[in-house]
Amino acid sequence: MIPRNPGSSTGRGANALTAGENELMTRVLLIEDDSETAEEITAELADRGFEVEWSASGIEGLDKARSSRPDAMIVDRLLPGMDGLTVIEALRKDQVRTPVLVLSALGAVDDRVRGLRMGGDDYLTKPFALVELVARIEALLRRPVESRETTLRVGSLELDLIERTAKRGERAIDLLPREFRLLEYMMQRSDQLLTRAMLLEEVWNYKFVPATNLVDVHMGRLRHKVDGPGESPMIHNVRGAGFILRTGP
Amino acid sequence: MGQTHIIRSNTFRWALAVAGVFAVFVIVLFGFIYWQADQYLIARSDKMIASQLNAIAGLPNERRLEWINEHLEQDSRGVQYAGLFGADGRKIAGNLERFPPELTMNDSVQSVSVERTLPAGRETHVIRAIARHMPNGDALVIGREVDETREISHVVAQALALGLLPALCLCLLAGAWLSMRAQRRVEEVNQRVQRIIAGDLRERLPHRDVDEPFSKLTVIVNGMLDEMETMIHALAGVGNDIAHDLRTPLTRARLALERGRTNATTLEQLETVVDKAIANIDQSLAIITALLRLAEIENSQRSAAFGTVSLHEILQEVCDIYEPIAENKSIDLRVEARQRLSVLGDRDLLFEAVANLVDNAIKFTPEGGRVDIELTRGDNETIVRVSDTGGGISKQEREAVLRRFYRSDKIRSTPGVGLGLNLVAAIVKLHGFRLAIHPGPGGRMEIICPDH
Repeated sequence: MIPRNPGSSTGRGANALTAGENELMTRVLLIEDDSETAEEITAELADRGFEVEWSASGIEGLDKARSSRPDAMIVDRLLPGMDGLTVIEALRKDQVRTPVLVLSALGAVDDRVRGLRMGGDDYLTKPFALVELVARIEALLRRPVESRETTLRVGSLELDLIERTAKRGERAIDLLPREFRLLEYMMQRSDQLLTRAMLLEEVWNYKFVPATNLVDVHMGRLRHKVDGPGESPMIHNVRGAGFILRTGP
Repeated sequence: MGQTHIIRSNTFRWALAVAGVFAVFVIVLFGFIYWQADQYLIARSDKMIASQLNAIAGLPNERRLEWINEHLEQDSRGVQYAGLFGADGRKIAGNLERFPPELTMNDSVQSVSVERTLPAGRETHVIRAIARHMPNGDALVIGREVDETREISHVVAQALALGLLPALCLCLLAGAWLSMRAQRRVEEVNQRVQRIIAGDLRERLPHRDVDEPFSKLTVIVNGMLDEMETMIHALAGVGNDIAHDLRTPLTRARLALERGRTNATTLEQLETVVDKAIANIDQSLAIITALLRLAEIENSQRSAAFGTVSLHEILQEVCDIYEPIAENKSIDLRVEARQRLSVLGDRDLLFEAVANLVDNAIKFTPEGGRVDIELTRGDNETIVRVSDTGGGISKQEREAVLRRFYRSDKIRSTPGVGLGLNLVAAIVKLHGFRLAIHPGPGGRMEIICPDH
């Protein structure tokens, strides 16, 4: 059930996106000095249908980012020669808006990293699960479009952001405020794998990993309300990874 | 080499500077005394000759000659001068050969040089003198040589030689001695410190009597060394415990992989083994993450970024998040915050602390139980209380928790208390708050925030 092959549930997101863009594969630039880690990441992303370019140093990576204009970048924070955050700052100065996922062995989230998050980029602490990395890269590539739409729709599911109401088909769904927030976040990112860490950070604004499986309990309640008896399930649990909201199986 | 050291030492330089300043001061003082004494003597002698002139001028002509001769005869020291000259400048009486040409007859005392006839010949002397026309046309001169001035300068020079030179020598000696002493002690301290650097943590700095500043300093440094020694030992203990804690899941992972490699015959079996190994490795990583987070909180200087945090909001949010979990276990989770109370702190960290307490409480309360989160006021303090109907923390456990507090990890192996409590303790300490753990029955934890 763990999605590892191209064309599986999470891989589809990337493919669907690239299909719209000149039939080219999504290109990801990886700047990471540890060759073994880089190899694993490259192999995993390749399995998911990404084209990966790898640089082992910050300076080389910056050159590649400038010349080949990748769709997304994965940058290790501690690099020989040039610090990862400096690479990103240099790119931003050149008005290169490529979304970046920063990898770091440092647990402490300092002000520079906070600035990153504000800019729409993401941060992942080492060690990380590969599913987590892929989910975050896809989330970066498919940032929800700023829309003036006040109603979100996924299949028969409808969320009215003004009235704060939800319904599936004709059936009204009664949601608590925190459940509404969770469903809104998931509908903005339908068909995307959302990991527990992502949900904790974005929906609950949690900065730490709680001992109890908070996300599962909340998700269980939401699923109970969204997927009524006899209806085909929309909230899917991806074992060992997270959750996906989508129509169909 | 030792001598140049002493001369270059700071103490010695100070002694030299003090000696120099002292010498200048003494010389200026003596000079001033000399000048004052000189002025005084001249003024006195001027007054004397002026009154003598008045006395003689008041005498009849023939008595004047008599007086002058008598006056000069009585002068055993040879400092008195007198002369009576006729209108044509001819000498009538006295010990002056000629009328001093520089002397003006205006009744004021002046310094003039005169020639004096002595058996040995003529001598030029500078004297204080006064002159006046007598009623019969003669010119009268009265003078005095102020030779005491010379004597005084002689005395002053002698005093300087006798007093200043030994004083200066003493200064230099004292400076050399002090600097040598300081150097010796610094050298001694240096040797001990070198031994400490080399790893001898039991070494301490020497100190003699406690009232001396240097000894006070060594006592302070020794206190610091004591504290550091204890900490280093504690740290070594923590290191051992962490290693042990990490070894358990890693051993499990290793065993699973080893057995899986030999025994697994299908892909499903292999996947089960790998999942098991990943779960165990994740647990090791979780321990490391928690420890790093602990260190991060302990080392952080966040107090600069502290702001006003409304505790009732935090409590409400924590309850909101944990409610479904409590409900799943049929636990009644309630918040009671009648007052809106705020403290100075870091919002995220305080949220984490309260969430951890609630997480623990729910975890260790049996189904059908109850967890209360309360916000109340004590004596000059704000209290966040999390109480439950679970087993609580036994007395021994509580002592273990409080005694080794967050540097310890013994807590981790104590059933019922995870690393979460260490995190809470670290956060509470960072804020300058207190964590109170009440004995059972029922768990009761309090974060006590004193008013500042």
